[in-house]
Amino acid sequence: MNITASLGTSAPHLPPLHSSPPLRPNGTESFAIEIQNVKFSVKTKQKKLVHILEDCSIQIPSGQFWMLLGPNGCGKSTLLKILAGLLSPTDGFMYVKKPKSFVFQNPDHQVVMPTVEADVAFGLGKYRFTPEQIRCRVAKALDAVGMYEYLRRPVQTLSGGQKQRVAIAGALAEECKVLLLDELTTFLDETDQIGVIKAVKKSLASSDDVTALWVTHRLEELEYADGAVYMEDGRVIMHGDASTIMEFIEDRKNSYIRKINA
Amino acid sequence: MLYSCGVVYTLPTVTSSCRQFHTPLFKKHPIQLLPLKTLKPKFTCSASIDDAGPPRNWEKWLPKNLFSAEKVLKSISEATSSPICQFISSPITFLHTVDPRIKLAWLVVLVVLPARSHILMRFGLVAYLSLLSILILPRHVWMDQLGRVSLLSGILFIMLGLGADGAPPVVQLRTPPPSMMGLPSLPASLEGYSYIIMKLGPLQLTRKGLSVASTSASLTFSIFQSASLCLSTTTPEQLAFALQWYMRPLAYIGVPVAEVILTLLLSLRFINLVFDEVRVVALGIVSRRIYWEKFTALETIEVFFTYIRRIFNNIFSHAEQISQAMNVRGFRGDSNTHNIYFSSLSSNSMANILSIMCLVCLVGAAAVSDCFV
Ligand SMILES: Nc1ncnc2c1ncn2[C@@H]1O[C@H](COP(=O)(O)OP(=O)(O)OP(=O)(O)O)[C@@H](O)[C@H]1O
Ligand SMILES: [Mg+2]
Repeated sequence: MNITASLGTSAPHLPPLHSSPPLRPNGTESFAIEIQNVKFSVKTKQKKLVHILEDCSIQIPSGQFWMLLGPNGCGKSTLLKILAGLLSPTDGFMYVKKPKSFVFQNPDHQVVMPTVEADVAFGLGKYRFTPEQIRCRVAKALDAVGMYEYLRRPVQTLSGGQKQRVAIAGALAEECKVLLLDELTTFLDETDQIGVIKAVKKSLASSDDVTALWVTHRLEELEYADGAVYMEDGRVIMHGDASTIMEFIEDRKNSYIRKINA
Repeated sequence: MLYSCGVVYTLPTVTSSCRQFHTPLFKKHPIQLLPLKTLKPKFTCSASIDDAGPPRNWEKWLPKNLFSAEKVLKSISEATSSPICQFISSPITFLHTVDPRIKLAWLVVLVVLPARSHILMRFGLVAYLSLLSILILPRHVWMDQLGRVSLLSGILFIMLGLGADGAPPVVQLRTPPPSMMGLPSLPASLEGYSYIIMKLGPLQLTRKGLSVASTSASLTFSIFQSASLCLSTTTPEQLAFALQWYMRPLAYIGVPVAEVILTLLLSLRFINLVFDEVRVVALGIVSRRIYWEKFTALETIEVFFTYIRRIFNNIFSHAEQISQAMNVRGFRGDSNTHNIYFSSLSSNSMANILSIMCLVCLVGAAAVSDCFV
């Protein structure tokens, strides 16, 4: 297993990259997520190579709340799955702080136990905690997303948005360094959605050095972010603080409308 | 603000240009389509007997719409999402605070007892279970549960009670009746014993019928009612915990207890996803407003096969995603090293002692009643 060699030459088939910090090229400790020139392609059934991600580079400082924006099918979920380690990139360099947790787009896939509290505690099963510690963490996580009174509810009696909150609570309970959240607001209504963003931000603030990457479609959520990444067609188009991205997207919209009108 | 003005401004020009393009097409359509329609071959079949008048409309006597595809799919899509017995979390009652292991023992006892005890004991158990349900559960829940269960066991009681000995004994007995063997028949009992308790025309309620009917009806009642009482006051995780506790000795002979328990819990969650999927896909078909009357039987069956294939596809994709999610959440495929957190609901020691004492009394009473009879 000579990971060092394969990393240095950026070989076409990299092993799943969870490299240790010294291997990073411009290794500054302050980034929680750092990818460079990541490519990802899949083979279709007709043996055609489809490029889904091309030359994506992102640097996200630790302790911040960032958003990943882009139109449908631009590769946001794919990029997030690569960051989570569910897919391995075809090419490129990647570093994500550990431990990390990932919340799926559809909460029905994430929530695996029949009762809320058991599900929130499911991720803690790999650690050796006492029941008292687990109870405490579950209560804290459920409280953060405003679902404490649903502690013993059967999961199938919850609404889509409530299931999503349970899924987030499961991620929060693990107290990870990196939270990867895929388009959580699809099931939530307007007020619910801001509530969940605030809950995530609150839990970031309460524990030091936690970084979150939040995938969204909605521009109005940008005001809560420290920074944002804008993607289109599998490429990272813009990368910077939230207001710059906001201006950039507004600009694009205006120029697009002008083009149609002309 | 700027772009919204632009959109408003451009809209009329776009639509008007569309209209310009389309008007000639619209004019052409009727001319093109009419001949096609008239050319369509048409077959009519009729059959009649020469001397009879107009054929009688016998078709309307046939049962129609007994099994219509639309009805089936509609009823599937309208079914409630929640299964019948569900944990009731809000008012925490006495039964919530009893240890799940004791509840499981109660369940086993209530299943075994009605089959092997005196008839009074059986009816006593039924009364006890209904009383407990009424006291513990919210009103609408016990009305619903008890109504359903007593209807079922009532039907069973009547059918078995009257049916068990309804057939003449000649058919049932293997040995020929005494009259055929030339033996004097047995003398009638002096103490007023009679085998037949009640006669309703051709039907008769005999002692054997009563015993069979009361056993099976009270067994049905106590199984269903105690199960639903247990499920509505115990979470699936607590039940799994109790089951694991009882199964622990089996681990020494190589039974993968932890795996069985985890599989049980996952499938309890997964069943709901399956129900949801069945419902949602049915809704998808119903909302397309298909003209089922125009379909032949074969085409209707084809739609049903598409429906079933679709459900299976979705379920498999769910299963794949769930296994991915479990991996992400730290499950490494070994259920022995992955601890499951069962419940934060701690049991009350007073409630535990009380329920164990009641259980012992019940078993003792059943044994005594068995001895006396
Ligand atoms: N296994 C696969 N095989 C072929 N194409 C794929 C595969 N997985 C994803 N894609 C394609 O990759 C592109 C990006 O998909 P992805 O799910 O990442 O989009 P997204 O940005 O998350 O979209 P949305 O906003 O709708 O969630 C899509 O065009 C999709 O069709
Ligand atoms: Mg997506």
